[in-house]
Amino acid sequence: MTDPTPTMPTNYPTAKGFCLTSAFWMVVATSMGLLGATELIAPDLTENVGWLVFGRIRPIHVNLVLFGFVTPGLLAAAFYYVPKLLRTELYSEKLGVITVLAWNFTMVFVVVSLALGYTQGREYAEMIWPIDMLIVGGFSLVFVNLIMTVARRKEPILYVSVWYVCAGIVLTAVTFCLGNVIWRPNTGSLVGIPDAILLWFYGHNVFGLLLTPLSAGVAYYVIPRACRAPLYSHTLSLFGFWSLLVVYTHIGTHHLLQVPVPTWLKVISIVDSVAMVIPVMAFLINIWYTAKGKLGEIHADIGAKFVFTGTIMYFFVSIQGSMMALPDVQRVTHFNNWVVAHAHVGVLGFAGMIALGGIYYILPRITGRPLYSRFLADFQYWMILIGVIGFTVVLTIVGLIQGNAWLNGETVYRVLPEMHVYYITRASLGLMIFSSALMGLYNIVRSIFFNTGEIS
Amino acid sequence: MNMTPRTVVVGSLLILGVIVFMVVVVPYATRIQAPSDIFRSRTSQEADGRSIYIANGCVYCHSQSIRSIDWGLGAERIAQAGDYIQDKPILLGSERTGPDLSQEGGEHPDDWHMAHFINPRYTRPLSIMPAFAFLGTEDIKKLTTYAQSLGLKNSDQRVERQQFWKKEAIEAYEKGPEANVKWLHETVPEGWRNVPNPYPTTEAGLARGHKIYQDFCLGCHSPIGDGMGPAQPYVYPPPLNFTILKGRGISGGILYYQIMNGITGTAMPYFKRELESEKIWDVGNYVAVNFINQTDADTEPKGIDAAYEP
Repeated sequence: MTDPTPTMPTNYPTAKGFCLTSAFWMVVATSMGLLGATELIAPDLTENVGWLVFGRIRPIHVNLVLFGFVTPGLLAAAFYYVPKLLRTELYSEKLGVITVLAWNFTMVFVVVSLALGYTQGREYAEMIWPIDMLIVGGFSLVFVNLIMTVARRKEPILYVSVWYVCAGIVLTAVTFCLGNVIWRPNTGSLVGIPDAILLWFYGHNVFGLLLTPLSAGVAYYVIPRACRAPLYSHTLSLFGFWSLLVVYTHIGTHHLLQVPVPTWLKVISIVDSVAMVIPVMAFLINIWYTAKGKLGEIHADIGAKFVFTGTIMYFFVSIQGSMMALPDVQRVTHFNNWVVAHAHVGVLGFAGMIALGGIYYILPRITGRPLYSRFLADFQYWMILIGVIGFTVVLTIVGLIQGNAWLNGETVYRVLPEMHVYYITRASLGLMIFSSALMGLYNIVRSIFFNTGEIS
Repeated sequence: MNMTPRTVVVGSLLILGVIVFMVVVVPYATRIQAPSDIFRSRTSQEADGRSIYIANGCVYCHSQSIRSIDWGLGAERIAQAGDYIQDKPILLGSERTGPDLSQEGGEHPDDWHMAHFINPRYTRPLSIMPAFAFLGTEDIKKLTTYAQSLGLKNSDQRVERQQFWKKEAIEAYEKGPEANVKWLHETVPEGWRNVPNPYPTTEAGLARGHKIYQDFCLGCHSPIGDGMGPAQPYVYPPPLNFTILKGRGISGGILYYQIMNGITGTAMPYFKRELESEKIWDVGNYVAVNFINQTDADTEPKGIDAAYEP
């Protein structure tokens, strides 16, 4: 990679804003997850508090994690590394700060509207039309700022991180409009089976065209920088980038293998799900070979430690995902907590870890002072690592119990008591993750506003 | 390859466009628009109920998608594309914390749904579904209308059957305990009525019966079997007070049949999908011993003793 030279002094208000946004909404999002997990143990805990009913808490949790915590976290790093890599300043910090403010207002609307029951009832596309517009607006502002920065660059060559963030943002803006059927403001949906096909095309692309490219962008920046090593292979970055866009976008229908959708579409989704090994390994081999023999450097930087762990989680979640697209596997895993485990490894273990890693990596560099507390960040790392691995183990067990019991002809009701003890463990792990989010918020706020560390 | 900004942005958009055409537009253009054999449109009350279903996120725990490998509720009919042709959005669901509801309509009478929505534990003690009393009676009624329409034409038949037997059950109940018990027994096929519980009363059997009673029965029949469980205020005819069965010709076979098959029209559901044979005999004998105080367990005719019997 090109060695970024220091540019004009700036205090990165946009990057800081996205750091704070991510840290704050991580607290709210994980508290919603914890509350939902607790309701599955004690369903009358919030009896007759309508806006806290599980069916409203769950979409708040999911959407805040995706659009409140992980995406802003990954964008925070992008707003630092894009100007650095292009040896220029951000096109407009003012526009950036406006984007941050608008983003936070949007998240408030998301919470309030879903809590009040204003929803379009489609997973990851629940938000009503005006909020869809705000989200598309947010992505557009980000895109304008980044692409104008690219246009004004002093460095002629675009590094792979820049490809990923530019493509990720523009493709997400487009698929978000498509997936939310924005030309039908009232229902936000198509009719019948095509609605399911479109929904899962979009739903899977939230991971494939937003979280994955943005996370890859951060990893491609942080790992070589932390290792002080050149990127292993330019060819692999090219191959990984284009194959990701081609393969990932085909696989949404693997959510519908047991549904009456056209068989040829199911075949495409299964074949491409297995083929996901190609872009995944192209990326991972590139990152891991860059870090080969340099694990000490990665361990020494808490940000890089988060990011590198995220890449390992990416390996597991992707291989698991390819396997889960096989119809024989899905006979057991579909419709149960196995999938919940998978989602948590992907969004918290991979993208969430990398988002936090990006934040911790850039914080000392945008504040000019060391992190307020490396200990707290390390503590948070372990809490999340134990939390997400614990989730995976516990929820995978529950999923196997459910899936096999159902295949064996047992009713859903009969299986409920068997899940109880695992649900208690899951909520306990959720408490750890929530506590770690509080710790992270405190650490990030102190690092930005009340940092008394030496200016480096 | 020279990655210019234009290559990255335009190239990605081109790829996306081609793939959207293939995996979204083509399936849309070739979609099945013909209604299936069970299809009918929803009434406005049912559509209102569906909006409440969406607003409260019922879809996160209940699928509406019966698969060829399913055994449970609704398995009698595997989903077809023609079932969903007016659904916007389609509510297939992605998780089954609760049962699939594709064929829920007519599974229970309306009053069971009222008790269940007020608090699901009233009818299903182990349920982890939230209580929906906060919706208010009007909205619960709309939601019930929607639930009763799930399965479309198939559900209409079942709802009609519920309504027919509801009338019969109420008539019998209102004639007093003597006539009610007589009616209840007469609805059991002759052969079953004369079968005693073929197994002996054992401490282990009663303990098993106790556990099953707690997990499945006490919401309506109450812990002491007097029919005054928390669901009682919402269901009519009210849950049976078991003590009135004493000396009126009750048998192990009648208890078994009613638990297995339920009493359509009343809030008493069938349990044959949830309880294996031994569990039904055990909970029947638990009721007979503890609440009716009259059991025919281990009396003739009982055939050859089972191998485990002492």
